[in-house]
Amino acid sequence: MEGAGGGPGTQEVRACGRALGGNCRVALLDEEHLGPYAPGLYAEALRALITDGDGEDPAAPLVVLLPHTYQSAEYAPRLAVRLDAAYIASVSAATIDDAGRVRFRRSILQARLRAEVRPRKRTVVATVQIGAFGGTDPAASPDAVVKVGRPADIEEHEEREVLGREAAGGGGVDLAGAERIVTAGRGVGGSDEVSVAAELAVALDAELGASRPVVDNGWLPREHQVGSSGHIVAPNLYLALGVSGSIQHLMGMSGSRIIVAINKDPEAPIFSVAHYGIVADLHEVAPVLTRLLEARRSS
Amino acid sequence: MRIGVCIKQVPDTDSQLRIADSGRGIDDSDLNWVISSCDLCALEEALLLAEAELARGEERPELVVFSLGPARVEEALRKALALGADRAVHLADEALQGGDALADGRALAAAVAKEHCDLVLTGAQSDDIGQAATPAVIAEILGFPYAWLVMAVELDSGKRSLRVVRELEAGMNEVLRLDLPALLAIQSGINKPRFASLRGTLQARKKPLRHEDRRGLEVDAARVGAAGAGFETESVTLPPAGAGGVMIEGVSAETAAEELIAHLEREAVL
Repeated sequence: MEGAGGGPGTQEVRACGRALGGNCRVALLDEEHLGPYAPGLYAEALRALITDGDGEDPAAPLVVLLPHTYQSAEYAPRLAVRLDAAYIASVSAATIDDAGRVRFRRSILQARLRAEVRPRKRTVVATVQIGAFGGTDPAASPDAVVKVGRPADIEEHEEREVLGREAAGGGGVDLAGAERIVTAGRGVGGSDEVSVAAELAVALDAELGASRPVVDNGWLPREHQVGSSGHIVAPNLYLALGVSGSIQHLMGMSGSRIIVAINKDPEAPIFSVAHYGIVADLHEVAPVLTRLLEARRSS
Repeated sequence: MRIGVCIKQVPDTDSQLRIADSGRGIDDSDLNWVISSCDLCALEEALLLAEAELARGEERPELVVFSLGPARVEEALRKALALGADRAVHLADEALQGGDALADGRALAAAVAKEHCDLVLTGAQSDDIGQAATPAVIAEILGFPYAWLVMAVELDSGKRSLRVVRELEAGMNEVLRLDLPALLAIQSGINKPRFASLRGTLQARKKPLRHEDRRGLEVDAARVGAAGAGFETESVTLPPAGAGGVMIEGVSAETAAEELIAHLEREAVL
């Protein structure tokens, strides 16, 4: 078995590797040894390292784990093609039975269901969901770490050049430092109805957040977005209004101290992380909540 | 210039999902099927690129839409034609069905290669299985430069190059230059997909839609469809409801709000 990782998600990758037991090797891919990131180059460097194989049991399963980040999940499927491996993305649990059969758990249908999957090939490339496998001791059993260098014979010529990096949205919203956040989800219904969340935010002295569909629809600007592609937040109080709770959203807010969800769908995945849930139409409950909180303040 | 767009038909996630009797998937007898949301954005982006070329006085690129799936997928392809695509290719052969991202990617790569596309657009991730792998597999097999999670595209057809903005974590973007032929996996939010007009829907019935099979694509039977899938699903379950949280339901809005405030006072977060 083999774990590969570096940077964000390294802890999750190591924890997932431990869950599978076996013989763990950790490979670090960094720009210092490998050169600037390019998907083909990184896939090829890992392929060369893994097929090198020095003295391992050719019958035992070989699992290559990478963090499900926007960098490694970009090239991991290409590595799977090059290794003729199975590819399983964004796993949240991993087990191995006495017969050496590996199984993974992952969410499907936008986190509405979860699936247990079993690879049909000896070699598996899997990406590990950030935030899953939490709470492991980083100091436990230090694995041997290999720094991945540039393959000597590489002729990978990538027709892709990085021109620069830029912030995606404007400023003015301090979600990362907020004590309380009220987030508007798709369930608010439209740009005119976002006010129901904004008014509750004012009554709670909270910042206003937004889920991805709300931003994609243009109901609120991108700087309000909570989730893996927006802000990762951990306020004292997180109140989700009409947020269904995609994996990317849960990754961005599940570290909050108290999570409240108001949604009329009792099966919305957001309830799986909520400490308090109200199954109701947010347009009925939120205005009452706003009124009671305003009355409480002025009394 | 030819732009290919790969789309996937998926269950509408707003519809009620029931687990099939086998326990290995969802009951597909009574589902609404739609074009996966990111794929719809990819099609819209292709339409916008074609319109921009025309506005610059260039020849309008031809738009070819591809989809792999059973007979029901024809509806998704007709919708893409109604929205403005010129031709459709349906990978409908039984031997191509039941695969995973690797198997599907191999078949789609062969279909795209056969049509000699200069640029291929597809969604970053499907709304059903969501492995986000098929676009990378197509790019890998075709040897195309590739970017995932694309939030903006500018095409310079003269220089045969693209300027692309790609999403990174934590509110950052990366700006890239890619040379054609290339494959871009489009992120939701890049644009607002248009609705089909009545005229478009009528025209779509007459636009060419052809079927493609395994033999025509010259792909190995063991590498595509169910035979080529790298993993199998043993079981599908509902996630555990509520992680031990307090649920307030079946009461009036007034009572629900009062109960919640009482809980939040106890938690000292107000």
